[in-house]
Amino acid sequence: MIFKNLRLILLLFLAFSITSCHHKKVYEDMGTLYKVGDQQEWAAINFNDQNWEDRLDLKGGEVFWSRTKIMIKESPQEFQCYGVYFFNASGEYEVYWDGVPIGRNGNPGKEKAIGPTGSMWRVYKIPFELTTEGEHLLALRKSLYYYPNHIYFHTLIQDYEYLLESPLLYTAFMHITAGAFLIAAIYFFFLFLGNKKEKPTLIFSISCFLFFALIIMEFIRTYVPIHYSQHHIRMEIIAYLTFFISILIPLYFSLQFKYAGLKPIFIIYLVFLLYIFYREHGSFDYTSKMMAITSWCFSFGIVIWGVYNKYKGAITILITMIICAIIFKLTYFDTSLFAGFSAILLGMFYILSVKAKEQRLAYENSLVQSTRLRLELLKKNIQPHFLMNSLTSLIDWVEESPKKGVFFIEALAREFDLFNQIESKTIIPVGLELELCRTHLEIMKYRKEINYVWEEEGINEKEQIPPATIHTLLENGITHCAPLSDNTIKFKLVFEEKGSHKSYTFLTFGKLRNTSKETKGGTGLKYVKARLEESYGSNWSFSSRSTSDGWENIINIYN
Amino acid sequence: MHILIIEDETRIAKRIERMTRDFFSENLTSLHRVDELSEALEFIKKQPLDVVLLDLNLNGENGFDILSKAVSESFHTVIISAHKDRAISAFEYGVLDFVPKPFNQARLDQAFNKVLLNEKTTEGNIQLLAVKKKGGIQLISIDELQYVKGAGVYTELYLRNGKKELHDKSLEKLEQLLPHTFERIHKSYLVKMSEVENIIVRSGSKYIASLKNGEMLPIGRTKYKSIKEKWL
Repeated sequence: MIFKNLRLILLLFLAFSITSCHHKKVYEDMGTLYKVGDQQEWAAINFNDQNWEDRLDLKGGEVFWSRTKIMIKESPQEFQCYGVYFFNASGEYEVYWDGVPIGRNGNPGKEKAIGPTGSMWRVYKIPFELTTEGEHLLALRKSLYYYPNHIYFHTLIQDYEYLLESPLLYTAFMHITAGAFLIAAIYFFFLFLGNKKEKPTLIFSISCFLFFALIIMEFIRTYVPIHYSQHHIRMEIIAYLTFFISILIPLYFSLQFKYAGLKPIFIIYLVFLLYIFYREHGSFDYTSKMMAITSWCFSFGIVIWGVYNKYKGAITILITMIICAIIFKLTYFDTSLFAGFSAILLGMFYILSVKAKEQRLAYENSLVQSTRLRLELLKKNIQPHFLMNSLTSLIDWVEESPKKGVFFIEALAREFDLFNQIESKTIIPVGLELELCRTHLEIMKYRKEINYVWEEEGINEKEQIPPATIHTLLENGITHCAPLSDNTIKFKLVFEEKGSHKSYTFLTFGKLRNTSKETKGGTGLKYVKARLEESYGSNWSFSSRSTSDGWENIINIYN
Repeated sequence: MHILIIEDETRIAKRIERMTRDFFSENLTSLHRVDELSEALEFIKKQPLDVVLLDLNLNGENGFDILSKAVSESFHTVIISAHKDRAISAFEYGVLDFVPKPFNQARLDQAFNKVLLNEKTTEGNIQLLAVKKKGGIQLISIDELQYVKGAGVYTELYLRNGKKELHDKSLEKLEQLLPHTFERIHKSYLVKMSEVENIIVRSGSKYIASLKNGEMLPIGRTKYKSIKEKWL
């Protein structure tokens, strides 16, 4: 299973590295110079720009020019064209290559008048004859009305078709991934609706959805033109998504690995995350990166705790987390964010599947256990020790005193009838259980000729109890205690309700027989414990011990 | 006849007692009832007994612990139990009879008759002989046994490995318990017939069984004829 998971993660990693790899670089960027003003001859390749500067202070809205010298090292093949790709570039501009206009994005200098037009991601074709080996010039006539300090821009010169196709390809791949996470989100949300106790399922579903949204928000730029004045909205949304994913992932792990000191440490973590979120607000990628690192570190700690406490699947998650760190180290942040989150979500998915398997096994076990308990209950009356001894005594009574024999038969009939009523139940009213006990004592009186006394205190007959629990304790008392000198054994059941729990104390007053310890504890107690577990999970305690008066059993049932 | 009843169900114990008294009447020297294992062991140690009537499920204890102790003693053990499924293993331990509950006078009399008339157990398939040892009971497989020699009230068990063990039961009682492959060839010898290699007749009407391991055991004059027939 671990290897299967690992293989998946590696495949994903490979896919990312393939899509993010670039073609051979065909040019050298020799630096950009700027100047405020607007003269058409500034586009010319031979213009003397010696007094131009490598930085500008803009007021916003005014036209300025940039000149970038480009050294083409390898001219394009026949029928091939180069293009220039502007990515994440602010402003509205016209593009000149060696003085020839090759494209326009928006309306430089008229932004205020006309309003925002254009997009931050554009590709322009460079005429074939202008891409010979040697020096060329990329000149921009530009204005930055909305973000005057965003004068710097990034370009990439490559095969024109490649520049058009590769963002689309990358986006297509990422959208397939996003689709998978959307389906997972919906599926696990429905699973959660089916069992609302399963909080980790809900967290996983939300995480998948947020991750889906994160991918969409990141790649929406490929097909929806985003003007640089609105770009911060997209970045803001991405930061919020990263922020929430960073909360949910460690929360998920701490729930799955039942991390004990959850609350205080989690609060500290939240405060720290919020601090990063607000302090670094504005430098979006950096914020996301810091939050992802913080989330990773915190989750890593919890996973270590999970491994230390030998939780199922913890080791796989640990390996996944380490792979995440390696991806982070080896790739760009964009890639590592998506590859990393994908790997972690797959890890979370793996834990859910492990848990689902555990739950199925536990359920199957509980079915087997219930059937076994039911059989054990049925067997109480037909096991040879009870049945044959009762019948032998009965024969003797019938032979000696038919009248008493009849009483005995009636008591037996009552006990059989009561067992018949309770045999298929997992919980019954205390009243019925006590009737069963009293009838059993009636039978045992005839068999053992001991004066059994039954006492009750504080009993609420409507309370519920698993069938034959007190009855089993009574049987133990009869077996392991000899009568006192007046030939009596007294049994007493006390019920108390104490705020947080209900308690049944069952006392046997008699002379403890000198039997081996094993026998004293063993018989029937397994049945009692299994019944309590069946009905109350782990919210019960049971103790059974000898006292100076005989024997004491205490059953506590917690609310 | 000294009899002990070990039974924790009072009504049933009384029934056994009544039926035992009815059967043995004046032949009964002593009859006791106990309802607890420790008490029973104490009693067995002190009192001479001929028969013990034992319930296998005593206050929730496993009766086989006391069973191996009981069968190592000089008396015969008759099991009276509700657990019919345990009859086979009880016989393997060497009990004289197994009376399943519920029982009547006739079934109990049948068991008592085995005691009285020295009848061989018919249902029995004894597999083990329990021998008292320092610090406990040792169970010896019947396959290991070659022959038994009477030594007063005791017997000596001669085993394949050349060892000799003492058993508290008399030769007569063991003869009752051991399977038909064992023959009483002499008033003091009980031999597994498959161990006899040859029957030698010596002068003066002396008959001798020569065993596979080279040992020579006397054959009683009155037994010779039937032994010879069986051996052939």
